[in-house]
Amino acid sequence: MSGSPKRLSIQEMDLLCRRQEAEGAPMAAYDGPLQRHVADGDRRLLHLEFDDSAAALRLWNFLLTEEDRLHQARAAGTKIVGTMKDLGTVPVMAYSLPDVIAFYPDGAWWTPCVMELSAGLLGLAQSLGVGEAFCPVRAMLGAFVNRAHFPIPDLLTCSVGATCDDFSAIAQRLESLGFPILWWEMPHRRRPDPGEPAVVLPGGFTAPESQVALVRSELERVGAALQTLAGARLGDGELAAGIREANRVRSLLADLRRLAYTAEPCPMPALEMLIAEMLAIHFCSDRAESVAVLNGLLDEIKRRTDDGQGVLPKGAARVFWVNPVADLRAMNLLEDCGGRLCGTEFLFSHALDPIPEDLPPMEALARMALADPMVGPSADRAGRIVRDARVFGAEAVVVSRIPGASHCALEGAVIAEIVRTELDLPVVELEVPPVVDPMLPTLRTRLEAIAETVLKRRNV
Amino acid sequence: MRTIVYTSPFVPPEWIAAHGVRPKRIQPEPRPPGPASAPSAGMCPYARAMVGTLASVADADAAVLTTTCDQTRRAAEWVAMTGPLPVFLLNVAATWQTPAAVRLYRDELLRLGRFLVRLGGSEPSHEMLCRTMAAYDEARRDLRRAVGTMPPRRANDAVATFDLERPLDASSVQPAPAPHAVPVAVVGGPLLQGDAEVFDIIAGAGGRVVVDATETGERGLPAPFDRRRLQDAPVMELVEAYFGTIPDAFRRPDDALRAYLEREVAAGAARGVIVWRYLWCDHWAAFVPRLREATGLPVLDLDVSVDKEHLGRVSNRVQAFLEILT
Repeated sequence: MSGSPKRLSIQEMDLLCRRQEAEGAPMAAYDGPLQRHVADGDRRLLHLEFDDSAAALRLWNFLLTEEDRLHQARAAGTKIVGTMKDLGTVPVMAYSLPDVIAFYPDGAWWTPCVMELSAGLLGLAQSLGVGEAFCPVRAMLGAFVNRAHFPIPDLLTCSVGATCDDFSAIAQRLESLGFPILWWEMPHRRRPDPGEPAVVLPGGFTAPESQVALVRSELERVGAALQTLAGARLGDGELAAGIREANRVRSLLADLRRLAYTAEPCPMPALEMLIAEMLAIHFCSDRAESVAVLNGLLDEIKRRTDDGQGVLPKGAARVFWVNPVADLRAMNLLEDCGGRLCGTEFLFSHALDPIPEDLPPMEALARMALADPMVGPSADRAGRIVRDARVFGAEAVVVSRIPGASHCALEGAVIAEIVRTELDLPVVELEVPPVVDPMLPTLRTRLEAIAETVLKRRNV
Repeated sequence: MRTIVYTSPFVPPEWIAAHGVRPKRIQPEPRPPGPASAPSAGMCPYARAMVGTLASVADADAAVLTTTCDQTRRAAEWVAMTGPLPVFLLNVAATWQTPAAVRLYRDELLRLGRFLVRLGGSEPSHEMLCRTMAAYDEARRDLRRAVGTMPPRRANDAVATFDLERPLDASSVQPAPAPHAVPVAVVGGPLLQGDAEVFDIIAGAGGRVVVDATETGERGLPAPFDRRRLQDAPVMELVEAYFGTIPDAFRRPDDALRAYLEREVAAGAARGVIVWRYLWCDHWAAFVPRLREATGLPVLDLDVSVDKEHLGRVSNRVQAFLEILT
C-alpha cells in the first residue's frame, strides 16, 4: 500500500491479495481473492467497497469462510451449537467446552444481501408461511430447510420472552418443521421497584437481583444441555476461562472502536467496523482466529492514526448508527454521502461490554445477558446511545429500521425523541432492506441531508 | 375506589379486586378520540389503538399491560412516557415448562399487589383473597354457561368485558342456526371495540361459529379454580389457572395452543378456520401455517388493518371463504 488508504473495489482488493501472495506476506489459510466468494454466489461483494489493507482482506475472508469452517468442524466431530437470538451469551458458554463451537443461524439474515436474493431463502420462508411481514431474519428458516448453507446444529437454543417477536415466531415455525429447540427465558428487564435489591449490569443498566437470578437459572439449564452435548463438565473454572477469552475479544473491540470512532481523519471504513463488531457475538466460529483478525485491524488503525492517515476526507459528518443494516452497502453509502461512523448500537452492545471477572462466572454471564439493549425499555437503550454518542463525539444519529421488525416501530420513535431532547442532535430514521439498490436515491437523499445538516450546524 | 384498566387475559381481575381496586377490562377503540401520538409505520393496529385509548381513557387510575408481545411491551413504555396514566407492565414468561417461569409469574403478581397498595389499595387477607377468587370463579362459571346460549357476537362481548360488578345479561339465546350453515372456528388475537361484528358477518355469509378462540373469547378464560387448592395456596392457584392454562401464540413452545385448537375444532366439527390477526402481529402470522397443518382444514387468514373500511374488507373475504366451503 502506498499513499493514503482509500476504499477499494473487489478487483483492487484482489490485486492487493495477489501482491500479498507475491511478497510472501504472512496470510491465513482461508485468505485469498474475494472473487472466489463471488463465484460461490456472494454477488453483493461486486457492489461493495472495502478497506485498503491486508487486515481488512483477512477480516472479509474470515467472515466469508465461516460456513466452510462449520462444515469442517462437523467433519472433525466437533459439536455445533446453533445459538439463537441472545447475541453474545451462549457462545461464551459453548466455547468454554472442549470440541464445541457455536454460531448464530440468525446470521443468515445477511444471506439475501450477500447473495443478492439469489439463494431463494426469503422465497422458501414465504412458502413456509413466513413472508414479508417478518424481518429478514426469516431467511434463517430457508437456510435450515434447504441445508445449503450451515450444517444443522447438534443443539439449538433460543432465548425468548423479551426478545423480538419476529424471531420467536420464526423459531417456533422452525421447531414445528422438526428442529428441536431449547427455549430459555429472557425476562423484560425493568427498573427496580423502590427498596428492591438491585444490581448494576455491565454497560450501566440497573436490574432487580431477582431478574438476574432468573436468567442465571435459565443459563444453568442451557449449561446442563451443553455439558450433555459435550460430554464434559462446564464448571466455574472452565466458564471463567471462557469469559476471560471472550473479554480478550471485547477488549480488542473496545480499543478498535475508540480509535476508529474518534480519530480524525477516519482511519477505518464503516463497513469493516460493522463486520469487526459482529465478531464479538460468536467469534465467527473460531475464537482464537477472531482475536488474530482483530489484532490485525487494530494494528492497521494504530498505524494510520500515528501517521495521520484516514480512509475518508477530514471533516466528515460524525454519525452514530443505531441497528444493524440488512444491506451492507448502506455502510458504504453513509460515507459516499459525506458521513462517517462515530459510534454504533447494533443491538448487541452487551456483547461489547467486558463480562465481570470478579463474580461467580454464571452470575457474571447472567448480568451480561440481562444487559441486552433489546430486552429492556427503549428509554434505557436510548440512554446508552446518548451516553456513547457523547463519548464518541457524534454530531447526528441515524436510526436504521429493520423492515418488518416488530420492535422498530415504537423503539425508533422513543430513541429519536430522547436523543433530540438530551443531545440536541439531528436524527433521521430510515429503513434498509436486504438489497437497497431500488431505494438508493431515497436513502442517499436522507443521508446527504443529515451530513449537510451537520456541516451547517458546525458553521453556526 | 381506584380503577385499573387492562386488556390481557393474563391479568387476573380477582387479584386486583382483592386489593380493593376496581379491575376493568377494556377493549381499545379502533379510532380513539384525540390526536394520534404513536407512529403509524410498522405498528400493530391493536397496539396503536391501545395507545390511543389509554391516552384518552377517562375513568382509570392506572393501566396494567403485559409483556406478551413486543409491541404491547413497547406500547406500555410509550403510554407511560407520553401521558399521565401510570402503567404497570406485568412480565408474563413466554416459556412455561420450568419452575422458574412459573415463579416469575407468581412474583409478578406479588409485585402487582405492591403496586396496587402504593396506588391506594390494601393488601388482602387470606380470607379476603379466597372469597374474592371464589366469587370470580362462580361468576365465570355462570359466564361459561351463558355464552353457550348466546349469539357468538354477544358471547364474545360478554367474555371481553366480563365484570363481576356488572350483572350478566343472559336473556337472549342462540338463534337456531340457518339450515346448512357452515360450522367454522374463529381463532386469533383480541378484538377491538365493535369488531365482534365479524361474528354477524360470518352468520350473514352462511357460517356458524362453533369455536371462538380469539383472545377476547372463551380461549382467554382461565381454568376453574380447584377449591381445596384455593384455600391452601390461593396465589399459586391463580398462577395455575391463568399462567398454567391459557393457551396463546406467544408461548414457547406453543404446544398448548395447538392442542387446544385441535381439540376444540374437532369437538365443534368445524369445516374451516378464520384467523383474526392484526397486521404486524408476528406470533399469529407464523401460527397460521401451523394451524393449517394441525387441523387440515381450509384457513382464512384475515390480516386486519384498522381503518374505516376494515370490516368491509373482512366481510368480502369471509363471504368468499364461506362460498368455497358451502
